[in-house]
Amino acid sequence: MSFEKILRIPNERIAVLIGKSGNVKSKIEQLCYVTLDIDGENGEVFIKSHGNVENIQPFKAMEIVTAIGRGFSPENAMNLLDGDNALHVIDLREFAGKSNANIERIKGRIIGEGGKARKNMENLTGTHISVYGKTVSIIGDTSKLRLVVDAISSISNGSIHGAVYNKLEAANRKNKQEKMQLWENQDVFY
Amino acid sequence: MSEIEAEIKVEPVVSLEEKVQTKVRPETKIEGPEKWGIAHIYSSYNNTIIHMTDLTGGETVSISSGGVHVNADRYESSPFAAMKAANAVVEVAHTKGFTGFHIRVRAVGGVGSRVPGPGAQAAIRALARGGFKIGRIDDVTPIPHDTTRKKGGKRGRRV
Repeated sequence: MSFEKILRIPNERIAVLIGKSGNVKSKIEQLCYVTLDIDGENGEVFIKSHGNVENIQPFKAMEIVTAIGRGFSPENAMNLLDGDNALHVIDLREFAGKSNANIERIKGRIIGEGGKARKNMENLTGTHISVYGKTVSIIGDTSKLRLVVDAISSISNGSIHGAVYNKLEAANRKNKQEKMQLWENQDVFY
Repeated sequence: MSEIEAEIKVEPVVSLEEKVQTKVRPETKIEGPEKWGIAHIYSSYNNTIIHMTDLTGGETVSISSGGVHVNADRYESSPFAAMKAANAVVEVAHTKGFTGFHIRVRAVGGVGSRVPGPGAQAAIRALARGGFKIGRIDDVTPIPHDTTRKKGGKRGRRV
């Protein structure tokens, strides 16, 4: 069995992907059973997997590498390995068009004063958000991911921050209620 | 005494061998010892579809999806549903005599997500556990060179 894939990440993130004396790189290689071939000049990362099919996690390795390339710290990117966590990348050019000034403005709205808006959204949904370059990336549980993506796109479209927080809180309440109901009719899962 | 014992011992062995032969025959049909196919796995945030074909990709061997095996719609893309779908597909493929599969994983692609959803990994694992040889694993997500416009219009998605 074999899997091969080339990804490109920004040059300045290459150093983070490798880590101090290669410890981040070797950790990814160990946990996902892949080999990473990193080209420091053009930012190409060649992912190749080997070994038993039941162990390898080539797609997780892909996600981790793109997450680090999208501005996450290696510790946060490693969260992708546990549970149902997934990565989502939003391109801000969808909302801002081609104007760089507009992208800067929207990034400011997402981060908020002193990082307040971003921290609020992270706490309300239990996810990690990274604003980097022209993208916003999110790591979190797949069910929560959709909420945050909706929240961030409505902030970028011009919604008031307060309204977005309220929506997230309402979703949390609804989730809690559903969990209570799950105990009453157990056959939902099957 | 020993002769009788020997005779008794020999008989069940013969019958077992016959049984095994009759059991194996329908699985490994007339074709050669190996028969390969392609398993297309489409994995999004909403569902996982596993579609097994022959090597040309034109003839369906069997197909199943996460939504068939689970009732609540938010579990359709879960690894558990993907595993169940893979197991269902594996059974049919075994009866048709397949021994190995190349795997093509596809995320939504285009304007959507470029990384396969949570079900892909579970499906691959279930295929390997089902006793098939796994050949190449490819990522065949469609990636545009210049994108079409994302749905939702100029004013964005209004909730």
